Amino acid sequence: MGTLGRVILLQGLVKRYGAALALDGVSLEVARGECVFLVGASGCGKTSTLKVVNRLVEPDAGSVQVGGHDVRESAPHELRRRIGYAFQQVGLFPHLSVAENVGITPALLGWERARIDARVDALLERMELPPADFRARRPHQLSGGQAQRVGLARALAAGPELLLLDEPFGALDPATRDRLQQAFQRLRRELDLTVLFVSHDMAEALLLADRIAVMDAGRVVQLGTPRELLAAPADARVAALLETPRRQSARVDELLGASA
Amino acid sequence: MNEALAELPRLATAHLQLSLAGLALALSLSLPLGVLAVQRPRLGAAVLGAASVIQTIPSLALLAIMVPLLARIGFLPAWLALTLYAALPILRNTVAGIAGVEPALREAARGVGMTPAQQLRRVELPLALPVIVAGVRTAAVWTVGTATLSTLVGAESLGNLIFAGLQTRNEAAVIVGCVGAALLALGLDQAIGLLERGVREGSRARTRAAALLIGAALAWAGGAVAWERLAPAPAPIRIGAKPFTEQYVLGELLAATVERETGRPAVTLQNLGSTVLFDALRAGEIDAYVDYSGTLWATILAREGVPPARAAVLAEVTRVLEREHGIRVVAALGFENTYALALRRDRADALGVRRIGDLAAHAASLEIGGDYEWFQRAEWRALVAAYGFAFRATRTMDPTLMYAAVAEGEVDLIAAYSTDGRIAAYELAVLEDERGVIPPYDAVVLTSAALATRAPDAVAALGRLDGAIDAEAMRRMNLAVDRDGLTPREVARAFLAEGKAGDGV
Repeated sequence: MGTLGRVILLQGLVKRYGAALALDGVSLEVARGECVFLVGASGCGKTSTLKVVNRLVEPDAGSVQVGGHDVRESAPHELRRRIGYAFQQVGLFPHLSVAENVGITPALLGWERARIDARVDALLERMELPPADFRARRPHQLSGGQAQRVGLARALAAGPELLLLDEPFGALDPATRDRLQQAFQRLRRELDLTVLFVSHDMAEALLLADRIAVMDAGRVVQLGTPRELLAAPADARVAALLETPRRQSARVDELLGASA
Repeated sequence: MNEALAELPRLATAHLQLSLAGLALALSLSLPLGVLAVQRPRLGAAVLGAASVIQTIPSLALLAIMVPLLARIGFLPAWLALTLYAALPILRNTVAGIAGVEPALREAARGVGMTPAQQLRRVELPLALPVIVAGVRTAAVWTVGTATLSTLVGAESLGNLIFAGLQTRNEAAVIVGCVGAALLALGLDQAIGLLERGVREGSRARTRAAALLIGAALAWAGGAVAWERLAPAPAPIRIGAKPFTEQYVLGELLAATVERETGRPAVTLQNLGSTVLFDALRAGEIDAYVDYSGTLWATILAREGVPPARAAVLAEVTRVLEREHGIRVVAALGFENTYALALRRDRADALGVRRIGDLAAHAASLEIGGDYEWFQRAEWRALVAAYGFAFRATRTMDPTLMYAAVAEGEVDLIAAYSTDGRIAAYELAVLEDERGVIPPYDAVVLTSAALATRAPDAVAALGRLDGAIDAEAMRRMNLAVDRDGLTPREVARAFLAEGKAGDGV
């Protein structure tokens, strides 16, 4: 893929926290419109890899390019205003209304009030949160799923072409989670978003990803499409991660076959 | 009660001015410092440590330290001491409030593209607000409470009513002062709390009501300052007084004399400590006060050992003050108020003691009480050295309580003031200092160098008080306040009126 088609380029990333090595030479490319998943067990380095992209983590070595430019060329806050970011704890500001939360990045960018309002309403509609009901609510008046959707709307508010998502559907009940995943998939296609997505759930990755980077001990141990991973897991660790969705799917097929 | 109520508006205004000024300065220092402390943990630890140390200094001591540090009495030292005192709760709560913001919110703030300054303004400070406000409310209550002590460094406050009331047994004044201070503290606390709730809950009505309350307090305090500036009265002659009855009476007497003889306005500044008064006079912060030759001999001249005769002490004190400090002794009032060892008359008879030397045989079984200064004073050390006694115990107590304590047998004897009306009232016997160890304590009027040029007529008027008050007259005036409940001002004015009518003083 050419430079123009490449949104993220990570090269030789190293990050230490004291004695612990969080990233041990991570390199990765994400193409325009692509959804790449970072999958692995806790502490494998997937979140650190995600956060170097918007400079919430500064690597000790290696380089990060977003849209063809080294991220160190611009101030962190300017970079982050161009990149949507949502994470599992959501972090909605409790002293602000839902509308103020969603509209925060456009406000920081100095958009006019009317433009922000229109944008916020459109996003709430899309997230199936009727603006009339939800605009004025405070975060404590939302359910877990509603809060996650507001968090996602906030990440999308300033119209970023790149979205960083860290377990955005974690801590949700399966039904809600499934609905949100479907909504996300539609949204991504409509808006032609480039997405880097952290998850510990291989099933989620297989369902949503264009490509999956499996990480272990600060390294990418396999990178490929879901089909490639299923066909040829690089090693026992990757195979182990694939084992659960494989078994669940086999069981479901069996049940479907039996009932048919 | 009426006199206390008449003074209430002026003193409450001064109290409010002092409290608000202290709180405002503390806020404007502590908020930025607190923010900085969060960003620089090492600096933060140092700042918080320093503030905590300041907090451990008793508030009275902190006020008193400010006087020599600034070489000033009055508003400035009180203001600074209150500021330092109020700084800690605001600082500590600012740090705790900001540090208590959830890490997820901090990450979200960075993630949506806030600069560090925006993070602080839009997220951290609003979320820390309730905790910070709690600190401000604590500081407000402390400041209003501590401001009552500012009277001791020459800044007027409701403490004037409390201290003078305690010394002159005027319970009504004490109650007016205490209730006034408590109401001010409560009002300020509630207004700040209301403002915070209004802002947090987005309630216009609450915010407006609180802003009105606080605005009114500020307007009241500020308006009084502006009024003084716009309508400048001629600078009054300032008369100082130590915190006991005789000094209140003499302070009023000096002030009334100046007003009557020169037509110049005069004010009294009560409840200042001995050395605070002297320093203030030297610095021209006050114009005149009454001190005692023996006190000056021991503390300012720092002479030790057995003093010479009364006239010689007076002459030497006069000479040294004039030469070294530019302070003039313009009159010796005509009586002595010396420290005197006193005990219950029946006790003295039972023990068979008439003179201090007689105590030696009994001292080991006796307990002696004295005022705050007594056991640190050169005279006490000289007494012990000269008579060679060791008492079973020494107890420091407020002069107000000392006389009742000896009368009720709480202590066996006390270092009393010889002109105190309560010696007679409580039927105490005064022991003779047969070796002349306690220096003579001629009551003398001191005037500042500045007064001689600014108002020579006032100096002359005060000089005419020479020999005007004998020991019996002083004792009667003290008793009129302590026993009969007259105010020092009434007693002083009555004395001057009598004098005018009688022998033409």
